[in-house]
Amino acid sequence: MQRSQRWWTVWTVCVLVLLYIPLVSVILASLANTRYLRFPHRIWTIEPYREALGLSQTYDLQMTSLKIALCVAVVSVLIAIPGALAFARYDWRGRKFYQRFLLLPVFFPQSVLGLAALVSLSAMGFDLSWRTAVFTHAVWIVPIVTLIVSIQVYGLDRAQEEAAFDLGASRLQTFFRVTFPQILPGLSSGALFAFLLSWSNLPLSAYTTGVDTTLPEWLYSRMSTNFAPMVPAVAVLSILASIVFVLVWQAGRVVVNGVMERRKQLE
Amino acid sequence: MTRTDTILSLRDLSRDFGGKLAVKNVTLDIREGELFTIVGPSGSGKSTLIRMLAGLEIPSSGDILLRGKRINDVPANRRPTSMVFQSLALFNHMTVGDNIEFALTVRGEDRQKKRARARELMELVRLPADYYAKSVTRCSGGERQRVALARALASDPDILFFDEPLSAIDYRLRKILEMEMKDLNRETGKTFVYITHSLEEAMVMSDRIAVMRDGEIVQLGEPLSIYNAPASRFVAEFMGQVNLLGVEKDGHGMVLKDLTIPLGAGIAATEGTWLMLRPERLRVLPENGRADVTFDAVCFNSYLLGSRTHLHAKMDDRTFISELDAGMPPPEPGQRIRLGFDWSDAVAIHE
Repeated sequence: MQRSQRWWTVWTVCVLVLLYIPLVSVILASLANTRYLRFPHRIWTIEPYREALGLSQTYDLQMTSLKIALCVAVVSVLIAIPGALAFARYDWRGRKFYQRFLLLPVFFPQSVLGLAALVSLSAMGFDLSWRTAVFTHAVWIVPIVTLIVSIQVYGLDRAQEEAAFDLGASRLQTFFRVTFPQILPGLSSGALFAFLLSWSNLPLSAYTTGVDTTLPEWLYSRMSTNFAPMVPAVAVLSILASIVFVLVWQAGRVVVNGVMERRKQLE
Repeated sequence: MTRTDTILSLRDLSRDFGGKLAVKNVTLDIREGELFTIVGPSGSGKSTLIRMLAGLEIPSSGDILLRGKRINDVPANRRPTSMVFQSLALFNHMTVGDNIEFALTVRGEDRQKKRARARELMELVRLPADYYAKSVTRCSGGERQRVALARALASDPDILFFDEPLSAIDYRLRKILEMEMKDLNRETGKTFVYITHSLEEAMVMSDRIAVMRDGEIVQLGEPLSIYNAPASRFVAEFMGQVNLLGVEKDGHGMVLKDLTIPLGAGIAATEGTWLMLRPERLRVLPENGRADVTFDAVCFNSYLLGSRTHLHAKMDDRTFISELDAGMPPPEPGQRIRLGFDWSDAVAIHE
């Protein structure tokens, strides 16, 4: 028992190290004043961060990425609600087909999907900007969010909806008073997932943002051509931003739950 | 109160699931204020039947009449009836109070009125008043049961339907709740239509019982009449814990199968008739004990059921169930015993 537990610990540490090596490398790369990625550093400095924070461009990049990610999160959840109910709740002709093909866009190589979106969007006469990127991200992310919400829908006792209906609620009242509150945790996870997937996406953005540039796009181009330690510093800041976003999100959930509980207690 | 006015009539009611009839031409009248139980094994169609009555399932043919008015096409949310579900279907994201008030909330009643009604109902179903703000997920099984009852009663429905709500409750609590159900039926004066797979449960609380099998009602009557005179072998076996003795013809006349004992006078039996003998009527005879019919068997095992003891005895491959007289020490397994019964205690079943 003792022995096997020790092995589990070693294994877990190995997995974690493997997962975090790239992250640590980026942090290390951002702490030098060299034009080339190499190790060990001769001089350690936080100068790149000062530079990154001083660059007004990084602010614009973050805003573009944020704008896209938030829109994608909202759009995905709105589409995923009926999508998940159709997936996991209602019986209808074609449901099996729908369940099998829902994930198809996810299996597409993203660069192909991005190119396809670029071609069709321009053929239809759309000017490429962050808006078209929202659409393309959604094509890829909606199926994933639908699946996440579906898992929550599967967990919902159908009898609860019948009970609401039996107690005199209309279909709409049943949805808003019973179904929606119960799948809310799934919607919340789905939205968070959508946000993070969009925030870090490169291949789809590369084809479809047109005049706008997202953070991953800029990072990619600067990493490959015009490297400076300021680039990994921006990357680290971007990672920090998404961590902050997740923390704020979780805190928000805790606060909302707490308030609801208090409200009930006071009543 | 005389329970003679019909509140709910079922006329030739059927439900077809893709060629398979879950409910077949059921016709019956449920009386105002009675506790009517539909009992049957799983797959007998009882759940489909009650779902049609509640409006959650559409009949394929036949009519449902509520006080003489056809309600086939009235959806569940427009019927003056409520259902207590098997899973109870409490709204887990709500408090006890919100659950109970739900029917009033969707109707747009004001807060004061809702609270007053919830208070009244919580008292009726014996829930402590401070449970009002408690989350239903923190309630025990029995408490959840009471919340479900109060919630169903909130809109003051004409009929309450119960779809096996006690099936997941442990034995001791179930026995209590069964009795409370009967009390509540008396206190509220409402019509209760109850579904269960346990005839024992049905016996405890019902005014009348319908036994269902393969979508049809095979016997309808008061609990005692079903207990004393099951209409068929199915009903007798469904009650469980009975001895069924086959009857066959031999050279001299009708005899008990396996035992080859001639039937006593006064028992109308033909080939295919079964004689039902309750365990308490099949006695283990002492040395000089007497009975109309006696035969030898080997004690297989004995089972203490609280105040009673049941004994299983074997004769060849046949197993007999006998209830020991109070205070009688059970025979050892393997011990030879003499069993006996009187003809007057045997009930002939012809189907």
